[in-house]
Amino acid sequence: MINLIRSEVLKIRSTQVWFWMALLAAAFTALGTIGTVVEAVNAHDRGDVVDYYAVFTQSQGAGVALLVLGLLGLTTEFRHKTITPTLLATPNRWLLLAGKAASYAVFAIVYALICVLLNFAIAIIWLSAAGVPLDYGHGVPGGVLKAFLSLVLTGMFGLGLGALLRNQAAAMVFGIVYIFILDNVLNFVPWVRKGYAWTPGGGLKAFLSNGHIEGMPDDVHLLAPVAGGLLFLAWALALLAVGGRFSLSRDIS
Amino acid sequence: MTGPDRPAGHGANPADGRIVVDNLTKIFGDQRAVDSLSFTVEPGSVTGFLGPNGAGKTTTLRMLLGLVRPTSGSATINGMKYEALPRPLQTVGAALEAASFHPAHTGRQHLRIYCAAAGLPARRADEVLELVGLGQVSRKKTKGYSRGMRQRLGLAGTLLGDPKVLILDEPANGLDPEGIRWLRGFFRHLAGEGRTVLVSSHQLAEVQEVADRAVILNRGRLVRAGTLGELSAGTATTVVRGPALGPLQQALTDAGFGGTSEPDGALRIRTDQLAHVGHLAFTHNVELHELRLEEFDLERLFFSLTEGEHQGADLDPPGRGQRPGLPYQQQGGAR
Ligand SMILES: Nc1ncnc2c1ncn2[C@@H]1O[C@H](COP(=O)(O)OP(=O)(O)OP(=O)(O)O)[C@@H](O)[C@H]1O
Ligand SMILES: [Mg+2]
Repeated sequence: MINLIRSEVLKIRSTQVWFWMALLAAAFTALGTIGTVVEAVNAHDRGDVVDYYAVFTQSQGAGVALLVLGLLGLTTEFRHKTITPTLLATPNRWLLLAGKAASYAVFAIVYALICVLLNFAIAIIWLSAAGVPLDYGHGVPGGVLKAFLSLVLTGMFGLGLGALLRNQAAAMVFGIVYIFILDNVLNFVPWVRKGYAWTPGGGLKAFLSNGHIEGMPDDVHLLAPVAGGLLFLAWALALLAVGGRFSLSRDIS
Repeated sequence: MTGPDRPAGHGANPADGRIVVDNLTKIFGDQRAVDSLSFTVEPGSVTGFLGPNGAGKTTTLRMLLGLVRPTSGSATINGMKYEALPRPLQTVGAALEAASFHPAHTGRQHLRIYCAAAGLPARRADEVLELVGLGQVSRKKTKGYSRGMRQRLGLAGTLLGDPKVLILDEPANGLDPEGIRWLRGFFRHLAGEGRTVLVSSHQLAEVQEVADRAVILNRGRLVRAGTLGELSAGTATTVVRGPALGPLQQALTDAGFGGTSEPDGALRIRTDQLAHVGHLAFTHNVELHELRLEEFDLERLFFSLTEGEHQGADLDPPGRGQRPGLPYQQQGGAR
């Protein structure tokens, strides 16, 4: 298994995708941090409670990067037909999926380190300059850990989606449309949104929250954070299982 | 049988390296790409896997490697399915048709990825790159590789784990003459080390030079399998040329010899009894300009076995009428 993870990490390191994804992750983190810090400064000036949890968990912005890595995990192999030598080296499809998923944990650590540092650096400098006191309570440490776990899960989710779709372009388009459009549609359209809590996006949102989420319609009742995390994990595993069972065991020719 | 810790290659176990294909069938839609195919590749032999385009060679090899799921039947290496091999790259080296690499990876990066997966040291990648003559371009991206370079990189990949069994699908494709010569030496070298090589190829002359055995396939079915000696048995041909061979042809038929007459007037007689033919010519007063035993030619045998079955128009059918057992017949309407 260690060998397999080394091989998969090497695969990703051998192209520049991981570097551009690091930049993208940093950009999302920076934007998220700036948004929540501005909000925090305003709240402080108004004399409201400052949402420190939101400010210090923006490293979750690296999720896009992990989603892309995950989506590319198998679709690139199908596109360039490297799936053949890959399966010759690792004939067991489930082992291969596990190895790839584990390699995203490695990248999640790297991206999380970069993004947590960036998140904290921007927030601390800005809040101090604006005279807002720093406070790492309010579930911040747990939130940072959950942000990291969400990256690992997102990588697995992308991998499963890619395994299922096999086509790189289709997987990328679907992934992007899902996060930026479909997810918002699902939690907005009346009736439909009643099921939102059970979608992958709903699970992930619940997981990353500290229990109460603002800006959701009244009839959307997200799960508790841990339950949301488990739901998202279940989605990822289900995609991996279906992808592994039906897509990966098809003839490779 | 083979324990996971036993070093691969140069094994002492005689069953080590045997490939057994047993009643293997693959149906694509309504097409039987491989049809009840059975054959065995003996350890330490170089076996040519031959057949016209679309015969099912690649499909068979992919089933052997666990990439294509057989409709029925089984294919094993060392008595195990490929998926069950404890250390696949150290046991079997395979290069399939249309070798495939990530275009942005260098040759070296490509091989290092599989070194890592197989638990081999990264320097093994450089060693095999040198072996196949790609040392100079090992740090270039594979998208810039020529066809022959890709082919060599695929071959390099088979050697990573120093495996006892090699499965190669048309390795000579895209190689230049120097490359083909190199490949021939490469096969000899592998065979000399007692490795099992199963190689599909359309380069019949090359196969004949390096192979001990051949498995001939047509339309998914086994046509013939055996050592080249076995395959050549009964195919000995005596060629006779002369200005007027009519009386000799009659005498040969009377004496029970079968064969054909070529458009250029030469007679091809299915026998290795040169003396008998020479004697008949002498007693019938026939002038001979040539009397020789034709060497076994795998290509002729191949065409005689798969004749008329290969796809596409037959522009220049070599070895027509070589089907053993046909009566002595005239060819091409000469004379
Ligand atoms: N994935 C597939 N789906 C449908 N048909 C297939 C598939 N793969 C192969 N075939 C068919 O199976 C037959 C055998 O193909 P295969 O590639 O095994 O032949 P081959 O002996 O390797 O030929 P060649 O010498 O051209 O490489 C062909 O008729 C081919 O069209
Ligand atoms: Mg083929």
